[in-house]
Amino acid sequence: MAPKAPTPEKGGKKTKQQSSASAGPVSSAPAPDTSTVKAEEVDDSSGPIYLVAKPLTPAEARREEIYYNVALFVITILSFFTRFYMLFHPDQVVFDEVHFGKFASYYLQGTYFFDVHPPFGKLLFALVGWLVGYDGAFLFDNIGDGYTHNKVPYLAYRALPALLGSLTVPVVFLTMKHSGYSLAACLVSAALVLFDNGHITQTRLILLDATLIFSMSCALYSYVKFMRYRNSPFSQKWWQWLLLTGLALACTISTKYVGAFTFFTIGLAVIIDLWNLLDIDNGLSLKQFAQHFFARAFALIAMPFMIYLFFFQVHFWVLNKSGPGDDFMSPEFQETLGDNELALLAKPINYYDTIAIKHKDTGAYLHSHSDRYPLRYDDGRISSQGQQVTGYPHKDANNNWVILPAAGFPENDRLGHPVNGGDIVQLYHVVTGTYLLTHDVASPYYPTNQEFTTVSPEDAAGPRHNDTLFEIRLSNGKKEQFRTKGGLFKLIHFPTKVAMWTHTKPLPDWAYRQQEVNGNKNAQQLSNTWLVDEIVDLKDDRMKVEKKKVKQLPFMKKWLELQIAMFRHNNALTSSHPYASLPPEWPFMLRGVSFWTQNDTRSQIYLVGNPLGWWFATSCLAVLSGVFVADQLTRRRRYYVLAENVRTRLYNSAGFFLLAWAAHYFPFYIMGRQLFLHHYLPAHLTSALVAGALLDFFYGNPGVFPVAYQAAAAASTKAAAKKGQVVESVVHRLQPPTMYPPSSLISYAVSGVIIGLIFGVYWFFKPFTYGDPGLSVPEVLMRKWMNFDLHFAK
Amino acid sequence: MATAGSTTGADAHGALRQRKSKPSEPGREPVEQFFQDKPKTVIGEYYRDEDDISLDTVEKYVVPMLFTILSFVTRMYRIGISDIVTWDEAHFGKFGSHYLKREFYFDVHPPLGKMLVGLSGYLCGYNGSFEFKSGDHYPEDVNYTFMRIFNATFGALCVPVAYYTAKSLKFSTLATWLVTLMVLCENSYATISRFILLDSMLMLFTFTSFLGLAKFHEWRRHPFTSGWWFWLTFTGVNIGCVTSVKWVGMLTTALVGIYTIHDLWDKFGDLKMPVVTYAKHWISRIVCLIILPLTIYLACFKIHFLILENSGPGDAQMSSLFQANLRNSDLTKGPLDVAIGSKFTLKNMGYGGGLLHSHVQTFPEGSEQQQVTCYHHKDSNNEWVFYPIRGSPEYDPNDSEIRFIESGDAIRLIHENTGRNLHSHVMPAPITKDQNEVSCYGNLTVGDDKDNWIIEIVSDTAHSDNRVHTLTSSLRFRHQVLGCYLRAANVNLPPWGFKQVEVTCDKTNNPRDRFTHWNVEMHVNPRLPQGDAKAYKSPFLRDFVHLNVAMMTSNNALVPDPDKRDELASRPWQWPVLNVGLRMCGWSNDIVKYYLLGNPFVVWGSTASVAMLAIVTFVYLCRWQRKYVDMTPDEVSHFIYSGLYPALGWGLHYFPFILMARVTYVHHYLPALYFAIMTFGFLFDFGTRKLSWWARYLAYLLAYAAVIGVFALYSPISFGIIGNHENYDYLNWLSTWTI
Repeated sequence: MAPKAPTPEKGGKKTKQQSSASAGPVSSAPAPDTSTVKAEEVDDSSGPIYLVAKPLTPAEARREEIYYNVALFVITILSFFTRFYMLFHPDQVVFDEVHFGKFASYYLQGTYFFDVHPPFGKLLFALVGWLVGYDGAFLFDNIGDGYTHNKVPYLAYRALPALLGSLTVPVVFLTMKHSGYSLAACLVSAALVLFDNGHITQTRLILLDATLIFSMSCALYSYVKFMRYRNSPFSQKWWQWLLLTGLALACTISTKYVGAFTFFTIGLAVIIDLWNLLDIDNGLSLKQFAQHFFARAFALIAMPFMIYLFFFQVHFWVLNKSGPGDDFMSPEFQETLGDNELALLAKPINYYDTIAIKHKDTGAYLHSHSDRYPLRYDDGRISSQGQQVTGYPHKDANNNWVILPAAGFPENDRLGHPVNGGDIVQLYHVVTGTYLLTHDVASPYYPTNQEFTTVSPEDAAGPRHNDTLFEIRLSNGKKEQFRTKGGLFKLIHFPTKVAMWTHTKPLPDWAYRQQEVNGNKNAQQLSNTWLVDEIVDLKDDRMKVEKKKVKQLPFMKKWLELQIAMFRHNNALTSSHPYASLPPEWPFMLRGVSFWTQNDTRSQIYLVGNPLGWWFATSCLAVLSGVFVADQLTRRRRYYVLAENVRTRLYNSAGFFLLAWAAHYFPFYIMGRQLFLHHYLPAHLTSALVAGALLDFFYGNPGVFPVAYQAAAAASTKAAAKKGQVVESVVHRLQPPTMYPPSSLISYAVSGVIIGLIFGVYWFFKPFTYGDPGLSVPEVLMRKWMNFDLHFAK
Repeated sequence: MATAGSTTGADAHGALRQRKSKPSEPGREPVEQFFQDKPKTVIGEYYRDEDDISLDTVEKYVVPMLFTILSFVTRMYRIGISDIVTWDEAHFGKFGSHYLKREFYFDVHPPLGKMLVGLSGYLCGYNGSFEFKSGDHYPEDVNYTFMRIFNATFGALCVPVAYYTAKSLKFSTLATWLVTLMVLCENSYATISRFILLDSMLMLFTFTSFLGLAKFHEWRRHPFTSGWWFWLTFTGVNIGCVTSVKWVGMLTTALVGIYTIHDLWDKFGDLKMPVVTYAKHWISRIVCLIILPLTIYLACFKIHFLILENSGPGDAQMSSLFQANLRNSDLTKGPLDVAIGSKFTLKNMGYGGGLLHSHVQTFPEGSEQQQVTCYHHKDSNNEWVFYPIRGSPEYDPNDSEIRFIESGDAIRLIHENTGRNLHSHVMPAPITKDQNEVSCYGNLTVGDDKDNWIIEIVSDTAHSDNRVHTLTSSLRFRHQVLGCYLRAANVNLPPWGFKQVEVTCDKTNNPRDRFTHWNVEMHVNPRLPQGDAKAYKSPFLRDFVHLNVAMMTSNNALVPDPDKRDELASRPWQWPVLNVGLRMCGWSNDIVKYYLLGNPFVVWGSTASVAMLAIVTFVYLCRWQRKYVDMTPDEVSHFIYSGLYPALGWGLHYFPFILMARVTYVHHYLPALYFAIMTFGFLFDFGTRKLSWWARYLAYLLAYAAVIGVFALYSPISFGIIGNHENYDYLNWLSTWTI
């Protein structure tokens, strides 16, 4: 790699009102140009201009700072008020509180449960419950169950989301402030979230969204702060905000998987940033670039992943008892839970044990009796007329089978030989004295599947010996000791490789309507799984029920298993719901979700965003996209409408917000699962940021104030030294930027009108947000905008 | 040649010009050097060897001819030895027969490919009487060999097209041969082209579309010349054809579309181009790439309708008026006026609407009453009878007075086969939860007010009185108690409803919603005089849209059933890694067996090349950002148009299948594979361009040998496995292959 030449100063800053006629070439390229390039330069010279506003005096800057702080204080107070108002109402289980309240109780009791969301948000609720000393006795079984007489500390529970929801508003305000927007713009963005009925409703209840939205807004805020320190890389502040971004990202994705969209947003911004750093004009050596790269990779990928895993570790630590989630997990996993039946009862199986074999899905035992298959079935096919082998759901002596080795042990040495996975065995039916067998004869119902029957000991020892051989194939693929209960297995016929299978359709009366057992050619199917329910007449020392120690499993193994089960389950959430909606409806706030109703007071909680706020934010998205398209088109024709630094701000800041919106919205289109309006809330928050940015673009002060701290770079130090000034030690000393563009009067006026209208609409829909007061029919009808399907409209 | 000065290639590097120039350093040449007015060379001459040029003329004629001959040989060798109906011949052969019998049928694919199948049958004198049952032996009178040869011709022509495409992409001669050889020796192409299927046509038209694009790109500096117009039109015609064979042709169209947008965006930045010229560029593309293909697509359907003039198995998919115009349709005889006691079927008038249907199976959830659905096939379960509501005089067939039904009348609909009433109640419908469920309940005597429906005539195309007429009246059925409207909107039910269309009762009153409009289709009432429905014509465009919506609805219903694993279906991730093949017929010893599997060298090599190209591109981009100059603008242009565009084509023809909910099969990868092969050719060419001549020749020779060798090894699966398949166990390189 060749050494780099020092970066030429990029485009001298011109003062305001630079006219295209008088200006010379902006980029004064030092090298002698060839004719082609020269022609281009002349072409471009009418192009980029820079707008720089008069810097604020220190007094002005102090005054602005005070304005911002006062505004921040006021909106924070308002935010807490709007979120905590009537938090106690209703004292009943509302909507999805039924899930998340229940999970908190499971945590408090330590009983294992299964859910598709990662644990962070739920752990926070459990933490609140633990702090107030709740024992988790109430399980939130039905929507509408009363909290008061069940003695649930629901106010404490709800205070957590209300707190996080309240804090989201100042975070939005600060994000805008540190992105360099005027006070008016900051207020509009904050008000869009502050007075949004949707955000308020969703963050007052025991739901995960408050945690999600707060973490997500913190991630955006931290990244904005981080970028302010871009000129002093690897400084303490730079690291601090980079790591905080990573932490916020970790919390976001550990709450709900839609946090992946936040990762995508920040990830894309980081990639663009890195790509620009790679540009040699930035003067970074490859080594320096690698440092930048690995710093971000660590803080934004490795560290969040560790934190994400840590929450799962906590999850496993807390949930150490058997509970409703056991069945989702493998037997090995279940054995790690205390008081789990599997852990207590699983026993190793030896040859010559008499066992009862149970089908995992249908719960039927492998059964045989002396009746035979009829020669001819109703559809004309014929059978082998062998002894029937069926599935029978009740305990019975005919379920008893002796497990025998393929080649017998000597008479005197039969006991104590363990059966291992992968062994070839025979199964001997105790009552009829016959051997299990399957062969290439169609089963009663399935012409494609093999019939199961039994044969006499003579046949089993002689001509049919091979057909009586089965392989015990353990589901975990291991060759370990075969055990009862936990040792899920498939019984694979050795010569033909079919798997023993049964299904629920009962056989006709000739088999007493018991289940058909047949050989499934598709051995891979999970429904081929069986387990040994018990060892009958167990006599030796295995009989003693010893208090087994709960097993341990490596964390990563547990986590991987749970993770895969979660994804599989999440994709299966496709059932429909009366209030489910589709992404195209969301930005236009066409329809809400009914959370709770009370007939006697005619009050209801109906999740609905502030329609005016949503429409305003959505139209801002459309306008901004239009501005980008127009800018691209005009630049392509060499018309430079926007000043270069105004344009940079627009792309890097408003463009970033627009990207965040798109990343939090469009992926829902390809999601197959059930979707609700509240999935749009993170995207709505980013659209509020866009709205503020756009307001400043149109009505704000035309000058652009630098947002990034200026490091006293080596080059300028040298320049100063040349001029004979005293050079201080300025390695990482930061010069504060002037970042407070005073709002113009018109922008105050516009934002005032917008905020006023939004507040009015918020007030209008307030009864649905707080579930109080109840409304009369005309009052409800008045609020029935768009397709709102409100209750009590008749 | 007004625009000759600003080439597309140079424009791609336009940004470079605005960059700061740097003092010259070793290993990093100043950027401007490449913008000096060098003599413009034709791209590709960089890649042409000195000694190739002397043989150029010979190569130009002899090699493609040779390849074409070989192609015909590989596609047609032993083509007739299997006399059984193989793989989807069962479908497409049957559809071909329908054209010969001129009976209306319905299928999810557009008609062009099947009409060509029909043409092949017509040419060999086949009368269309064979059923094409899967696995059946062809009878004497079906010259299936000819029909297969007709199809294989399309497959064989793919090879010369690949040759000329590679030439147009400015591959070196050696790479052109390699690419052509890979297409020639691709087992899956050779196998699938041998049968009466649509894939060979789909492949040919995909390849020719890309050829057109490559040729058009070659001509880009000579706009509006005859050659330029020819290739633009050629591209348009071919994307029209490919889309008319199967809808996946839309992906090819998307590739052409992206190229066109890219091209027009480049031209938009060319300030020297007069606005009028620029507008001409737009108009030429709109005409040739949008209007022309659309016309071809429409024309295919027009011909389809013209040929299929008799009533057939697909009638019920179409609107009632369309059916009435088919010959031998039983619709034409229906009495004009509808009366109490009339037996009838009810057709939904929305695009793709079916017939109101009920069957003894019940809803597994909700009310658990008898299911009511919309069904697209004629069946006695579609028949309903108008009955008076309870409390009004009973219907007596022997009564001389005929009670005609008028708008606003309250009636009951009794399902003829089960005797139950059409019923609705406050219960969410199974899928569309915000509407009411519609079921069949009770019988003639058991029931309540919720069996009553009020008929509203929305419009009538031929009559102005208040009576309900067969075919011409658009009706709505309002539930007397709930006030909701009977509706069916192409939402497929889960397997318990046999994927039929959900019928709901819509609480909103939206008179213009055509999914709530119904018309009486078949009508039987012996007491009334016969009508003549032939008089009402159905406009072509409406039939066209109707059929396309119906195709889309059926296509969406082709989702895999999670409870039932289809042995033949496969998942998209398995294709590029060649994890899976496809048995195209039964696997017993006495029949000739075919196995659809790509040439492992070609498939793995091409997949690796796509991944490799992504890495190479990334490395070059990073170097570009570090201001290294690795390529001349012409080389950059070559890299983009001959390397990245084929790779983009691969992506466009591959990734949509991952998102598709539909059942997918191995042969869906075949078009994508072609683009991967082109990528392979480019990358091989690119990687060997700086080698010394003997190393290049050696590399190519090895590649040729590998392609041919593996093809020869696997030729039995393409030419037909005769005898015991276990003799070929050695071909199962992966445990997942099932030869």
